[in-house]
Amino acid sequence: MRKSLDAVIETLIFICGMLSIVFVVLIFGFLFKEGFAFFKDFGVLKFITGQFWYPSSEPASFGILPLILGSVLVAVGACLIAVPIGIMTALFISEIAPKGVRDVLKSLVELMAAIPSIVIGFVGMVTVVPLVKNIFNLSTGLTAFAGAIMLAFMAIPTIVTISEDAIRSVPWQYKEGALALGATKWQTIRRIVLKAAMPGIIAAIMLGIGRVIGETMAVMMITGNAAHIPRSIFDPVRTMTATIAAEMGETVRGGMHYRSLFAIGLVLFIITFIVNFTADLFLGKKKNR
Amino acid sequence: MIKLSPKLSQKFSYLLLCMAAILTIVPVVVIIFIIIKNGTSAISWEFLTSMPKDGMRGGGILPAIVGTLSIVLCAVLITLPIGVCAAIYLNEYAKDNLLTRIVKLAIVNLAGVPSVVYGLFGLGVFVMFLKLGVSIIAGALTLSIMELPVIITTAQGALSSVPYSFREASLSLGVSRWQTIRHVVFPNALPGILTGAILSIARISGETAPILFTAAAFYVPHLPHSPLDQVMALPYHLFIISTQIPNMPKNIIYGTALVLLMMVLTMSCIAIVARIYFRKRRKW
Amino acid sequence: MVNKIKVENLSCYYNKKCVLESLNINVVQNEILSVIGPASSGKTTFLRTLNRMNDLDITYSRKGDVYLDDNNIFDMKMESLRKRVGMLFAMPIPLPMSIYENIIYAPKRLGLITRESYQDTIVEQALKDASLWNEVKDRLNSSATRMSGGQQQRLCIARILAVNPEVILFDEPCSGLDPVSTAKVEESMLELKQKYTIVLVTNNVKQASRVSDRTAFFLMGKLVEIDKTARLFVSPKEKATEDYITGRFG
Repeated sequence: MRKSLDAVIETLIFICGMLSIVFVVLIFGFLFKEGFAFFKDFGVLKFITGQFWYPSSEPASFGILPLILGSVLVAVGACLIAVPIGIMTALFISEIAPKGVRDVLKSLVELMAAIPSIVIGFVGMVTVVPLVKNIFNLSTGLTAFAGAIMLAFMAIPTIVTISEDAIRSVPWQYKEGALALGATKWQTIRRIVLKAAMPGIIAAIMLGIGRVIGETMAVMMITGNAAHIPRSIFDPVRTMTATIAAEMGETVRGGMHYRSLFAIGLVLFIITFIVNFTADLFLGKKKNR
Repeated sequence: MIKLSPKLSQKFSYLLLCMAAILTIVPVVVIIFIIIKNGTSAISWEFLTSMPKDGMRGGGILPAIVGTLSIVLCAVLITLPIGVCAAIYLNEYAKDNLLTRIVKLAIVNLAGVPSVVYGLFGLGVFVMFLKLGVSIIAGALTLSIMELPVIITTAQGALSSVPYSFREASLSLGVSRWQTIRHVVFPNALPGILTGAILSIARISGETAPILFTAAAFYVPHLPHSPLDQVMALPYHLFIISTQIPNMPKNIIYGTALVLLMMVLTMSCIAIVARIYFRKRRKW
Repeated sequence: MVNKIKVENLSCYYNKKCVLESLNINVVQNEILSVIGPASSGKTTFLRTLNRMNDLDITYSRKGDVYLDDNNIFDMKMESLRKRVGMLFAMPIPLPMSIYENIIYAPKRLGLITRESYQDTIVEQALKDASLWNEVKDRLNSSATRMSGGQQQRLCIARILAVNPEVILFDEPCSGLDPVSTAKVEESMLELKQKYTIVLVTNNVKQASRVSDRTAFFLMGKLVEIDKTARLFVSPKEKATEDYITGRFG
């Protein structure tokens, strides 16, 4: 009786273990099915390289190049801010800060990660957006730049947490060796610790990028949502995620526009898959060393 | 260019790192401060416990609070057992083979899928294909798949922090593998699993994109009766009143944001404190 | 002399690397057989094969057979084998629960407790047999992790006794203990011999000579010599054995 119950539970555990595969396959299959139906009517190449996103005009045009460029612009901007700050903060937390300060910092970083993106979007809308408008004398503050700033805040916790982990797992013998040769602590950090932790830091950056590209609500609230190819970082842009979120409500279920949004979802899925897969390779490298 | 002495360059760099750390935490403090400063005046018992009035420009936000709680609760009830079982499989049973590598890759990938894509998936599968409609249960299922990788990862971390020797000791007495997991490994991993669960509740309470097309309603004048009802949700409500409704009183927006923020931060703080407490108290 | 355990032509491998080569050895009922030898001589591998703890290691594989009372242990269910052949590890591993719960844990899981009232008897008897009862009888509900190292190790012995095994394997049980605690553990070993068959792997040659009836000397994965302890220590047949026990290497 007890033995057979154990066997049932163990089977159940195995099934749960397999569920993640099932879900990934389901998500991909589902996006692919809807996306493929769209691509049959509207070519893949035309979709990806098309310069005009006019989903509801006659005839409709489903070119997502402006959306891709919008996503990329915001992501690059956010990374330019978040990567240096994130890595330096991680170094500060793991190598320099005294223990009390470190614990407080880590908890605050964790709290930052917990703040809902909608709240960050809202605060960005009422603070950063008008600031950007006034400082740069623009007609609107709803720009890629404002979006990049807010997204940087959201990427920083990811980058800090994972880099800090990587830096802390550098064996202390490495550091001791360098210090014993008369290097200052900073020289040791720069030449030895950073180098040894590099795979983990790269993974952290990748995951930060993944987070930024996938972010939806804050972006939708701050970047202005203009679906045209941006000329500078001070232009309003629209990202792929925001397009899905903003337009899904207005589409006819099963129509071209509806399917085109799934096709965008498929593109997003593939991008994030590559980003996360690469990050995982780097993390794996760190572990094997 | 002047070459700094090593000592000086160390001082200079430390200063730089310290400034970066300050830059990291300033936004957290500023965001929380802004919301609290502007939102506190809106908070009252009535705000928390009554229905919206005047096209949501007045009254309270009760249905949004109830809606969010019901979606999140359902999601956790679904995802926690599945996630913990999957973690047990990975940590206790899985051998180092191709299948395990695929499972791990799947988890990494699930964790990286953008939340809005989960929303699409939920819309297609739960709302349309399974005909659950826009409902609490459709939203909860969507969120639970999204949260699954997080739960698996934290639960696995908690399981693997239980020393291997405990398993050996138990197995060497003739106790079966499952009984060992059930009575030795699991109870000792439970605090870690629970703190992870609280953190993920906090996280999904604030998610908007996945419930956008699966659960959230613009306005519902009553509280939900069944899991198949559409509901208002706090984050979606905040989105609407801050972007879609003209002449919205500012203090209601900030008040709503404050309620959402406090809900999320309180849970996160509980989890952080609990984690510190259990680490200190740990017997091994 | 009844053979409790018969090992026939046993070879063990980790990642295809041979660590124990065609071993033939018997363990006699109610004896203490000690196994000595330098590091990586295969003695722990041998011990961990006897209750199949090695099966947990995926890099491990083996050839040959081991019989417990004429039943091949590799045909037995893992759980029932381990119930009959208990193991004491080098470091004491009390489970993170109370002393009482530590003892009653395995009997409960194995379904050995038919009546609720029976529990106290099992705990008391096991602790008495491990000569720990007098020290802990007033604090059975305190945490086992707060005991001293020697007490913890005797608690682990009591835990094994509670499932009523036939053979007990000791894997360098005193390597982490002070001399006084070691003496106590050795004392209980001699007591236990009346009821159980004991295999003791030890790095401490003197300990082998103090407690065991027979001693086996392993070197580089091979059994070099096995004999009555008294004889092996006085007049070893092999040069390597003599060198090891006189401390010339190892």
